[in-house]
Amino acid sequence: MFERFTRSAREAVVWAEEAGRREGATHIESGYVLLGAVHVEGSVAARALARLGIERDSLAECVRSLDADSLDADALAAIGVDLEAVRAQVEATFGAGALDAAAGRPARGKGHVPFDPASKKMLELALREAVRFKSKGIDTGHLLLAAARLDGATAQRALAWFGHDRKAIEDAVVATWAEAAE
Amino acid sequence: MSSDLMSAAAGDDPAEGLRAVRSLRVLADRLEALHVERARRLGWAWQHIADVLGVTRQAVHKKYGKRFP
Repeated sequence: MFERFTRSAREAVVWAEEAGRREGATHIESGYVLLGAVHVEGSVAARALARLGIERDSLAECVRSLDADSLDADALAAIGVDLEAVRAQVEATFGAGALDAAAGRPARGKGHVPFDPASKKMLELALREAVRFKSKGIDTGHLLLAAARLDGATAQRALAWFGHDRKAIEDAVVATWAEAAE
Repeated sequence: MSSDLMSAAAGDDPAEGLRAVRSLRVLADRLEALHVERARRLGWAWQHIADVLGVTRQAVHKKYGKRFP
């Protein structure tokens, strides 16, 4: 399937893998594939989301907060746990950044990080979108369309949080395709 | 962003409580890892760590044996 990916789509996948490795993730979540697509400068996905007023940084923040291994400061505050106070206390004992570095994950920076089932599904759906639009290759626009279809996965939930439905995202992608080739 | 998410959620929203539970688990896991690592560096035996954590030696060794030998 990867031989049908455009250069940008490949870069997106590589970005997701590197981000997963860097963050010590056990699996590459779909949200990171989506972020990869948006991180490629001038990619269809980046431009389509810009059309919808979704900034890369806020999308990244949203994906991170949906990450299964993240700490939700607001949810903790609601039950009276002050995450910043915990963080300060932990860092006083274990050093700066200790709490984040302690994420229950394997050693960082080495080894293969597999895609989670939703990410694999996202790549398959991207292929299907390419077939549906009779596209020559699979580009980041197809990845974005796939993300919007992944009900319940990180990528889809992050997009949904910005309040655009699948149709709006599809319109933005199609408009971006019409603008110029990737 | 997450504060917007919160203001959108009602105080008695199960989602909010469940997110808190999930974050508490993540927090507990991270604190456990930090303390186990420190204890090992201070020369604690696995059995000692396990006793304080209230789990079996096997459980704690299986979870951390490779990370903090």
